[in-house]
Amino acid sequence: MNAPTASVRDLHVSLERNGIRSDVLRGIDLDVARGEIVGLVGESGSGKSMLALSLLGLLPENARPHVTGQARVLDTDMVNDPEPARRAARRAALGAVFQDPMTSLNPTMRVGRQITEAGQDRDGAVRLLGAMGVPDPELRFRVYPHELSGGLRQRVMAAIAIAGRPALVVADEPTTALDVTVQAQLLALLRELRDDLGCSVLLITHDLGVAAQIADRIAVLYAGRLAEVGPAAEVLGSPAHPYTAGLLRSRLSLTLDRSRRLPTLPLDTLTADERSHGCAYRARCPLTVDRCATDTPGVEESRPAPGHGAACWFGSETVRSATAAVTPTPAAAPRTAPATAEPAVVLDDVVVSYTTGHGRRRRTVEAVRGISLDVAAGEALAIVGESGSGKSTVLRVVAGLVPVTAGRVSVAAGGAQMVFQDAGSSLTPWLTVGETLRERLAPLRLGRAETTRRVEEALEGTGLPAAVARLRPADLSGGQRQRVALARATVVRPAVLLCDEPTSALDASLAATTLNLIRQMREELAMTVLFVTHDLAVARLMGDRIAVVERGRVVEVGDAEAVIGAPREPYTQALVASVPEIEVVR
Amino acid sequence: MSTVVLPRRAALATLPGRRRTGRRTAWTLVALLAALTLLAVVARLLAPDDPIQPVAAPQLPLGSPEHLLGTDAIGRDVLSRTLFGLQTSWFSALAVVAVGLLVGGAVGVAAGVGGGWVDALLMRVTDLFLALPSTLVAIALVAALGPGLRNTLLGMSIVWWPYYARLVRAEVRSVVARPHVEAARLAGVGRVRLVLRHVLPGVVPTAVVTASLDIGNVVLLLAGLSFLGLGQPAPAAELGADTAANTQLLLSAWWVPVVPGVAVLLLSLVANLAGDGIRTLLGTRR
Repeated sequence: MNAPTASVRDLHVSLERNGIRSDVLRGIDLDVARGEIVGLVGESGSGKSMLALSLLGLLPENARPHVTGQARVLDTDMVNDPEPARRAARRAALGAVFQDPMTSLNPTMRVGRQITEAGQDRDGAVRLLGAMGVPDPELRFRVYPHELSGGLRQRVMAAIAIAGRPALVVADEPTTALDVTVQAQLLALLRELRDDLGCSVLLITHDLGVAAQIADRIAVLYAGRLAEVGPAAEVLGSPAHPYTAGLLRSRLSLTLDRSRRLPTLPLDTLTADERSHGCAYRARCPLTVDRCATDTPGVEESRPAPGHGAACWFGSETVRSATAAVTPTPAAAPRTAPATAEPAVVLDDVVVSYTTGHGRRRRTVEAVRGISLDVAAGEALAIVGESGSGKSTVLRVVAGLVPVTAGRVSVAAGGAQMVFQDAGSSLTPWLTVGETLRERLAPLRLGRAETTRRVEEALEGTGLPAAVARLRPADLSGGQRQRVALARATVVRPAVLLCDEPTSALDASLAATTLNLIRQMREELAMTVLFVTHDLAVARLMGDRIAVVERGRVVEVGDAEAVIGAPREPYTQALVASVPEIEVVR
Repeated sequence: MSTVVLPRRAALATLPGRRRTGRRTAWTLVALLAALTLLAVVARLLAPDDPIQPVAAPQLPLGSPEHLLGTDAIGRDVLSRTLFGLQTSWFSALAVVAVGLLVGGAVGVAAGVGGGWVDALLMRVTDLFLALPSTLVAIALVAALGPGLRNTLLGMSIVWWPYYARLVRAEVRSVVARPHVEAARLAGVGRVRLVLRHVLPGVVPTAVVTASLDIGNVVLLLAGLSFLGLGQPAPAAELGADTAANTQLLLSAWWVPVVPGVAVLLLSLVANLAGDGIRTLLGTRR
């Protein structure tokens, strides 16, 4: 075998944030062979992006990185060599695709110039754009980034990344900001790049499904260490680390049993200090023994197959049987059809249009063009669509945050409350959680003791300790903030709970926990739920019925299983087909 | 409910560590501001001599036994004059900035929250004030009202608030557009409470920081007006006037203009640093 394109050896990186130094990578060994696609999977905070930045030699200087070990790309050590050498390597051997193509493209430069800058002549750049699947490349060559859609921008990023014929393309969450259909195309594109140019790809993602689609090998990162590494089929087919096994099990798919609670991973309770010795996964692991707290297993510890290793004291058989034993508890019995015929939400031919610009540039944009929907009391309706389809606008209309241009909306007595996509920014940053919750109770004019009791009850109902009431949103994690948002929405029971992609910013395991919670609260409080999502697997789980929205219209609506199992509209079929699925051993 | 996110102990443990960083420095800077204000309050008591009357030979050098910072062209004690001037300049600057912040802040909040015609009306009035050359207006006002410190402050306050109105309106509008305001509205928070609890605290840091950076400017403008004879009438001690009037001594007795000049520098420096401190202290709540 040839020398690997990239080779990381015993890489330790620590960074300083807010005056506190923390280890983000704690001894990584990883090779990317020539022409190989390696999927690097991990949850947020696992250090996967820092590994990417190490390989690019772009660790954030203002975080004062301490680095030991090596991160070689071809002949250059991207963490230890002097900057001129690293820059030369970046130019000659590396290409990068980042998560957000809008912020990583230069908004003041035409697309074409940005590609030629990366080392292509004009014709080559136009050809490259065409090869990236950008329609009408001659025209697109002269436009500015803001004139392109998200998918096209990401293709331009990919074109820039490979313009210099790099040996290694580092793609950091390239598909996260994209709609599912575009996501699938971009992954196919990455694989074609490898096939045509023979370059290696390091694909970083939090979604095992994405890695499963194109990676040759998968490396699972947990708390700055490799938990498992091996050929994709091996890692997905017979996971040898409890974390990988747990991730696979908590993945949402179109075939999950809807009547049960989603399997979730236990939450991590280790402090940064405790994590620095022993196995960092021990607090969440069903197999934990005393040794896990003292000795740290290497990724070679368990060797189920050649080239497949896991950092666990136990063999893969033990791991599999132990994780399989954790059967998810059934959710509450499926509810009988609601007795009341009175619908909780009625949308009657609703039209919402915005006017933008002034004078000659005045334009009217129709976000919703005539949607009619009835949602029965106690029913859950999932609204699915891509970004810009108007699905969020529908929710905001029901919430009363957006006035309708035409049509009629009515909501049952008790009103609607909403859980927003980004819980962090939907909570007032300078108010404590307790203050935020008390505000909802203020109109009830309860006594002080009663208010405090209700606040504690609401926090407890969402699985938060009462002490959280004294904290501010910045002191909480993403999952906790989403719970607080849910507590605010339900502290006074609303007739209708509106959820706007509440899990799309969360890691898989946290998302599953949150979805379980929303389902449970729906049962307990007998709420009607409108759940907006771009993810069909989530929609199927959360909705009794699914409504598919495309360009401001409902194109298909029906029973959840029927819509997913036998989609009638081509648009729905495309959506179903593009959900990344993995064959999971159960 | 079975899921428990984190034990009580851990929940609280996340709190102090994250918020303590930099706060000590920030408090020190704010303490510096308090110390300067205190110094300005007791300046009269600290001054060894009368600032108006000549007390020694003219142009005594620095470090003279009786007069640590020397004396000026007609033999007045520079230390005493600087201390008295410090008091005048500091409180004048505070007053002008405070009035600007209050008036401009009120107009800005009203415009930013009110929107529509309220916004248009208030902002056009603000534009009117901004369109007038502010120094000239201040001079004209003082000339019309007659010289004297009170009139100078009045004149300056009138030209100073429009900047704050602009700033606060822009900040209010950006905070109002943030999702948490919409979420609060949906949660049934009333209009007044929405502004006071969900919008204003997000505006205060920027406004206060800008104001603290502005104190230096006000001190300098005051100095300019005093130089033109529109501040305190002549013999009274005023930092700007003392600096400006004594520049011709720069070669023969440099300390006479430099000492009050350094005092102006210190005032704006402390104000700026305290502004940074306040930003850090308020920043953790943003």
